[in-house]
Order: sequence, then structure tokens, then C-alpha cells
Amino acid sequence: MQRVFVTGLGVVSPVGHGREAFGQALQSGRSGAAPIAGFDTSSMDRHVGCEVKGFAARDHLTRAEVRRMGRCSAMAVAAARMAAREAGLEGDALAGPRTSVILGTTMGEANVLGQLEASWFHQGEDAGDRDALPQYGTTLLPIHVARAFGARGMVQTLPAACAAGNYAIGYALDQIRAGRADRVITGASEVIEKLQYAGFVRLGAMAPEKCQPFDAGRRGLLLGEGAGVLILESEESVIRRGATPLAEVGGYGLACDAHHITRPRPDGAGSALAMRRALEASGLSTEDVDFVNAHGTGTPSNDPVETKVLADVFGDHAPVVTSVKSMLGHCMGAASALEAVSCVLTLEEGWVPPTIHHEERDPACGALRLVANRAERHDVRVALNNSLAFGGYDAVLRLARPGVLPAPAPLAA
Amino acid sequence: MRLAITGGGSVSPFGVGRAAFEEALATPDVAAARAFRTTSEVLDAERVGASRTAEVWGWDPSAHLGKKGHRSYDRLTKFLIAAAKHALADAGIKDEDGFREGRLGASDVGICSATAYGSLDAITELNRVAELEAPRFINPSRFPNTVINAAAGYVSIWEGLTAPNTTIVDGNCGALDAVLAADTHLVNGRGKAFLVGGGEVVSDALHLGLSRLDVLAPPEGEGPGLTMGEGACYLVMEREAAARSRGATLLGRVLGYGNAFEPPLEASRIVDARPDAIVRAVEMALAEASLDAGDVDVVAGARGGLARLDAAEAEALREVLPGVPVAAPKALQGETFGAAGAFAIAQALAWMKGAPVAPLVAGEPLKTPPRVVVVTAVGFYGNASAVVLAVPEEAAGRGAQE
Repeated sequence: MQRVFVTGLGVVSPVGHGREAFGQALQSGRSGAAPIAGFDTSSMDRHVGCEVKGFAARDHLTRAEVRRMGRCSAMAVAAARMAAREAGLEGDALAGPRTSVILGTTMGEANVLGQLEASWFHQGEDAGDRDALPQYGTTLLPIHVARAFGARGMVQTLPAACAAGNYAIGYALDQIRAGRADRVITGASEVIEKLQYAGFVRLGAMAPEKCQPFDAGRRGLLLGEGAGVLILESEESVIRRGATPLAEVGGYGLACDAHHITRPRPDGAGSALAMRRALEASGLSTEDVDFVNAHGTGTPSNDPVETKVLADVFGDHAPVVTSVKSMLGHCMGAASALEAVSCVLTLEEGWVPPTIHHEERDPACGALRLVANRAERHDVRVALNNSLAFGGYDAVLRLARPGVLPAPAPLAA
Repeated sequence: MRLAITGGGSVSPFGVGRAAFEEALATPDVAAARAFRTTSEVLDAERVGASRTAEVWGWDPSAHLGKKGHRSYDRLTKFLIAAAKHALADAGIKDEDGFREGRLGASDVGICSATAYGSLDAITELNRVAELEAPRFINPSRFPNTVINAAAGYVSIWEGLTAPNTTIVDGNCGALDAVLAADTHLVNGRGKAFLVGGGEVVSDALHLGLSRLDVLAPPEGEGPGLTMGEGACYLVMEREAAARSRGATLLGRVLGYGNAFEPPLEASRIVDARPDAIVRAVEMALAEASLDAGDVDVVAGARGGLARLDAAEAEALREVLPGVPVAAPKALQGETFGAAGAFAIAQALAWMKGAPVAPLVAGEPLKTPPRVVVVTAVGFYGNASAVVLAVPEEAAGRGAQE
């Protein structure tokens, strides 16, 4: 089986756009939280979120592209263009049937639908922008990205809720290893929409002002939005064109809790299984994992379970842990894609971003080697990117510095 | 790709379960007459007026899920659970008493489930409350239904299935793409059997969107346009050798899969279909199956009533499978979008057992049941997928080795 490498990164995020701005913001511990500006929250008892600020689609997209797509797709296309540029795959280098596009999301163009339905409810069914109707389909995310590059392989959306980024990147890895694609533009994109925001408030999951993962005083998550896109490429393709690999995608693990639609299993069994599967067949042991990017939502139910999972899986060899959701908020479908980008930056640069707003550790999370409030330097060679999602989805991605992992084992016949 | 299909379960206008489905297909004209009506049980009649739909008529979830525990589930979730229960029982994996001893267990069975507009109904329900009352009044127990993968997630919970659960959105191609997802998971050892297929529901919001785009067929059914269908269909797929070794009954085999995308030629266009994509998807699926066009007995086509898409498919099939008869499964069930590929496979399995291959939209009637069927799916945006099915017997020969 071929090795698969990351050769480009693209980011649109609440703390900055492009890998450089994103990386600097994370390293400096900058929060993306601010009062919600995109819609009216006055009737709700929460008003803060991590919206993407200063993103002008026209800076990245043609006029025709802007006209035919919603904001979620526009952020995905913008991030994809950044990633392709870094990979040295501009122009028509990604055109043709050997490039696929596999993206994750939770609700896709939710704001397109939200605006249409608001028009219908308030002004009648003949109201609303008819031209916006075809923009709603969740299928369209990868279609728009594929069109931007002339990619003609698989176009696929994996709506795996808050694990969607890891699902998409893992599936992209599968397709390259299976020989169905040479390169995959992958990752995830998400926008905050009023309904999602209200839903999390009604679930009692939303913090009032700040997200404090693993802290005794945590009061929940903050919603975020953005797009994280990675160019995945087969080893053969990387060698053929002399590209520089940024990281190796070593594998991923999936499991399903089959327990509760919104809450993880209290014993963390599904999450632990996914984590062990991410290491399976890698030739690595838990001692080889230097860093875990935690799901770390800051909700009462997630953080102690995740702490238990890490203790169960790693025992005495606890890796360094952080939750960048303390800065980015919970970007739902895009979360694990943005966090995968963050992991690659950590592998490259040796900085582990901090979990900000950390005041007092929750005793139930005491076992963590948490990077609190200030970024720390660590020699990170192998990283795990953990994610859980509505539906009981568990997905863990394994990333490594190029040259660290043994060759992938062939699949059983 | 060498997958065995070892069970099936569906919720459709023909009832619940594979037996009801196949019984209806024995008389296609009667089946179509049962499926399509002009008095919807789902749509707001006052708003819609006359409409033609193919609904799950007289749907009573409590007959399949019991009376408790599903009050907050939406229509799609209940369809999927009922289809899953029947498929698992049909495959000899699980019944009312639980997993059958000595067979497969909870950690062996996963789900690859497609939908195109699955959460739309739930989103509209909550958006209506948020817009006309206030966001703070939305029902939190209904909120998870707005998340696309929740419906399949509920199936895992209901049936206790802990192998991976993957939801796929690829418009009309979703259920065929779910076959690839299942094969990918099986090859990588992430489970031993997968429920593969999907579901879709008729809803006011979808009806409104499609009617404003002028793509719905007139209520009398004569004329261009699609007719909304609904339902859920799961097929149990396993690696062929594993299925045979556990003594499962094989209903059919999947030998190949292909997909492709060709963007619209005009920059401003979003909805389109290109013959080149369909040709490439079919060629890829045939190559993977080690079959030629001459080996194919019939195509279960994607023809759904949209002139541009239907013309692209007809042109593609004339090029890539010249002379091969083409049937139109959607003529019996309407357009079920993300679930359509699974229903087409289910129809093809019935044809292999002797059900009439009808209606044909190209080619001559078959004299004997088909042994190799190509199933196609054509997306609204230039994407296309194809799957090659074959009868279970080794005698099919071509590409029989795992």
C-alpha cells in the first residue's frame, strides 16, 4: 500500500485565514470569540460565537463562482485554493479524473436554506431568491471545489457532523491507498446558522462567553465556523513531481457508540476503540504518540469521558494534549479538519497550541498533560486528532512527520 | 470489488420488507398503480393542491418499531429503522431476539447510508418555529434530526450496531456511493457486514423547492418532470468469501463500482448532466468487474423524468452499452434521490429471480432473467455513479474470484 502525504493546507477560520495567520493566532492563544454578528440573538440567552471575520469570497473566487454558491462552499473553495497553492498544484495541475474531492460538513449551505425559508414563512411561497434554490444541496460542496480545479474524479460529501473532517480525510486516504485517486482535495467546511445556534442553546450546551475545555468552571461550547482543506497525495505522485510532504496521513480509526444521539458513551468505549484502531496496523505503540489534539468541547459530558479514554488507551504514557476549540470554538463539521491542519503545523513547527481560558482543572480531567494557556514546544513526531459527533460517531486521525512511520501494512486478502 | 448481498429490507409504497417489495414487482403495472396517487398523505393539500407522489401509503411506524421510544424521531429515521430491522433479519444476522448466536455480533455490523435531502423536513419544522415564534421555542429533542447523519445514527442506536456508521450525501448517486463506502470499510477490516442503501422522504419543503424550480411532473403524470417518491432500502453486504463461510444465502453479488464528474460547460449553470461522466462511471465499474459491455444483460437506469438528465444518460448508454436494454426503476417508485440506487439494486435482484424487467425504455424485452445488471445513478450537478451486479451462482463465472 502506498504512503499518503499532506502537501498543502488551506484555512478560513475565526482567528485568521491562510496557514500562516492561523498558525500564529493559535500559537499566541488568540480567541476567535465575539458577539454574533451574522444574525439576531436577542431572543436567546446566548450571544457569543466564533464567526469567520474578514472573509470576502471575491478575494478568492471569480464573479461567476460567487454567484453560483453559498458561503459554506465559498469558504471551501477559498481554502482549497490556498492548499493547492502551497502544494504547487495551481492552474490545471489538479484537473482530470485522478483528482477527487471529498469534503465533510454538518449542515452544508444551512444559511442558504435558512434565508429561503425565512422568506417563505414571512412573505409567502413565491418570495425568496429562486436562483438561490439550487445552491442548497449539501452535495454541492465538493462539486464547487471540483469545478474550481477541473477535478473529474469522485465528488463526495460525508456529513459526519462534528467528526466530518476526520471522516473525509480518512476516506480520502482510503481512496488513494485503494488506487482510486492520486490526489484528493479533502477537509470540511461549515457556517454558523441561526437554527444551529439556537439548537445548541436549547440543548443547554452553549457557554455564555468563553470555551474552557477540561476546566472546573467550564460552561459548554461556543459555536464556530470555517473551512480546513488539505491536499492529500500518493507517495508516487509526490515523488514524481518532487513535491515537499508536510505530513504523512498514517491511518484513522472509526467506531460507533450506538448509545445516544448527542452524548458520548459514559465509559468512552467507542471513542477508545476508534483511537486504538487509529494506531492499529501502524507498527506503532501508544508510547510513540507524542500529542493528541483533543475533541475538547468544554461541555460537561465530553471532557471527563475524553480524559478517561486517553487514560484507558495511553496508560502511563500520557501524550501532550490540547483543545484548540478554546480558541476556534466548535466549528462542527469543519472542526476536525481545522484541527488536522493545526496538527500538521504542530508536526512541522514543534509548537503545541494552548488550551486557553484555563483557570482550574476539573479533578475529573486531572490526568491530562494539558498545554494550558501558553503554547509549548514539543518534539511532536506522531499526532492523533480526536473527534466525536452526533449520531455516536467516533473518528480519530493519525498524522506524522514525514519519514517517521513504518510503511503501511498491506490489507488482508 | 467482490461483495455478496445477503439480505434486504425496504420501506416503500409496496409495503415493508423484501417479500412485499418483490411480490409487488411481479406485476409492474399493478405496482405502479399502487405507488402513484394524487392525494398525498404527507403534503399540505391546501397549499399544494393536486400533486402526484409515490409515498409509503398508510405508514404506521408503531407496527414496526413498537409504540414507545421513537416519539422524537422523524419520518426518515423511522423508515430507516424499519428497513434495517428487516434487512438484518433477512440476512440471518439479527431478529427480535437479538443477534443470532454464532453469527455476527454488534461490533461486526455497520451502516453506510445515503440521503440527499434527509434532514430538510426537520430543518423546516424547526425553522418555522424559530421564524414565526422565536428560536428559544424550538424543541431540543427534535434538534438532532436537523443533522444529516442523525437518522442513520439512530439506526445504530436502535439496533445496537457498533461498527462504523457512514452517511453519504451525493445527491441521486448516494446509495451507489454507499456501496463503495461499505466495500472500503470491509476491505479495511472495519466490520464484517454493512447495511448499505439509504432513505428519503416526501416533504412540503422539498415539494416547494422542486415546484419553484419547475421540475415536478404534472399531477396527471403525463409530461416532463420528476415525481417525488420516498422510502428506505437497505441491502446487507459482506465480503463474498465471508458470507459463504457463514452459510448466508446470497441474493446477488456486486462486482464493480465506478464514479465520475464532469462539470457543466456553462459557468453560470449548476444543474446539469454530462454523458461523458456517465460513460466513465460505467466503464470504470465494468473494468473493475472484469466484464465487457457484451456481458451485460440489462441496465437499471436512472431515468427520472428530467429531460436534460435523461437525454444525457440515454446518449451515454448508447455509447458505452450499445444494444443493451434499459429499464427505468423510477417508473415504479418515483424519484427517491439518495435512496434511488438502493431501490434500483433491489429491483434488479428481483429481476434476477424472475420478476419482469419493466418498464423498458430502450432495447428488446429479455427472454430470460438477467444475470448481469448495470445500475446507474445520475446526479443533478454533473456527477454519476454505476454498479455492476451479478447473480450469486458461480456459473456467472465472469469475475467470480474474490
